[in-house]
Amino acid sequence: MTEKLVINFTVNGEKEEKEVIIGQTLLKFIRDELHLTGTKEGCEIGECGACVVLLDGKPVNSCLILGVELDGKDLITIEGLSKNGELDRVQKAFIDHAAFQCGYCTPGMILAARALLDRKPNPTDEDINEALSGNLCRCGAYQEIREAVKASAEKK
Amino acid sequence: MLSYDYVKCNDLRLACQELEEGEQVYLLAGGTDLIVGMRGGKFSAKTLVDIKDVPELKVLEEDDRGITVGAAVTLNEAVVFAPIRDNVPILAEGCHSVGSYSIRNRATMAGNICNASPAADTAAPLYCLDALVNIKSSEGSRSMPIKDFFAGPGKTALNKGELVQSILIPRPYPEGKGVYLKASRTGSVDLATVGVAVQRWGEEVKIAIGAVAATPVRAFSVEKAINEKGEKNYADAARLVHDDISPITDLRGSREYRYHMVEVLVRRGLEQTLGV
Repeated sequence: MTEKLVINFTVNGEKEEKEVIIGQTLLKFIRDELHLTGTKEGCEIGECGACVVLLDGKPVNSCLILGVELDGKDLITIEGLSKNGELDRVQKAFIDHAAFQCGYCTPGMILAARALLDRKPNPTDEDINEALSGNLCRCGAYQEIREAVKASAEKK
Repeated sequence: MLSYDYVKCNDLRLACQELEEGEQVYLLAGGTDLIVGMRGGKFSAKTLVDIKDVPELKVLEEDDRGITVGAAVTLNEAVVFAPIRDNVPILAEGCHSVGSYSIRNRATMAGNICNASPAADTAAPLYCLDALVNIKSSEGSRSMPIKDFFAGPGKTALNKGELVQSILIPRPYPEGKGVYLKASRTGSVDLATVGVAVQRWGEEVKIAIGAVAATPVRAFSVEKAINEKGEKNYADAARLVHDDISPITDLRGSREYRYHMVEVLVRRGLEQTLGV
């Protein structure tokens, strides 16, 4: 039985070649092998959205994907959102609107919101609700989160 | 950590060969049910065959036979496919009610039916549309109606060595409105406590229901009352649904609650599709 495979991928703009253990989820691979711990582990069954990352630009639950499936793909984690030390406007809007308390859901929320704005620059409330439907915030900052997403849309 | 082999397949023939020759081979497309199921001990795989990039399974097209949805097409891709939105919006509704947006970026319609949950959200709309499941193996191809594909909770009519290549929504498409009404504990992510699809076909109606029996079922008693006896009182017609279902009690709802909700949703579905 093959234990490990070599995969090639891009993470936050950098090309990488790495060994990945078969059976390891993308979430564990990102945290334990790439040491990018901004991606959070919550439910591990795809219900909470804390582990959302962008794979080829699309938000996905990294707990429901295997590390080997990253081969040939482009991965963006929360660490890859700022450019030249400047936060992404969604990140800034989350700070401005205090759109979190404990912050555990924030990386997933921000990436899901970023992907929404990339495909719909001016989303309606309904669009925002749909895009963030898989991201739970146990502190209950939903109102502020929606405001932050709207504000970052308007700031274009 | 679970230990198994991983084979990436870009060739349908090779995928069929792996399925036929291997033991405990599982197909990986979206993986949203498979990975949760493996972690929970529901599936124990010796080999995973990744089929998500097999070209024949990425087909999403409309021709004179109808709409073909390949097994590796994600639910989000299906939801925005114009022929589905325009001709069979009930199916777009069903796809859209699975999981969350990020889940639907991976999850597939074929995976939803192969997981064979009686609560599968795409199933009830597919029953109303008389969808066909196109099955492939090294031996050849065959098709079967969706109603014959579901064999019980977690069980399909697939034999060893067979895989679902695509789902066909055949022409003619229904004339008239269709709705998929889902009762669940939360607005998204949760499975259906009950799911009711009501599709108008001209002056007639087809009704299918999920999460109320070992497989999705058609509500033939209600259909007969409406289509053959011309019942105009939708509340009376909806009450007949009790004869078509045999729900159980589980963590999403009791048997009694399901009986009640199905009746309510069937009535609403009739009102919304046939007019009050």
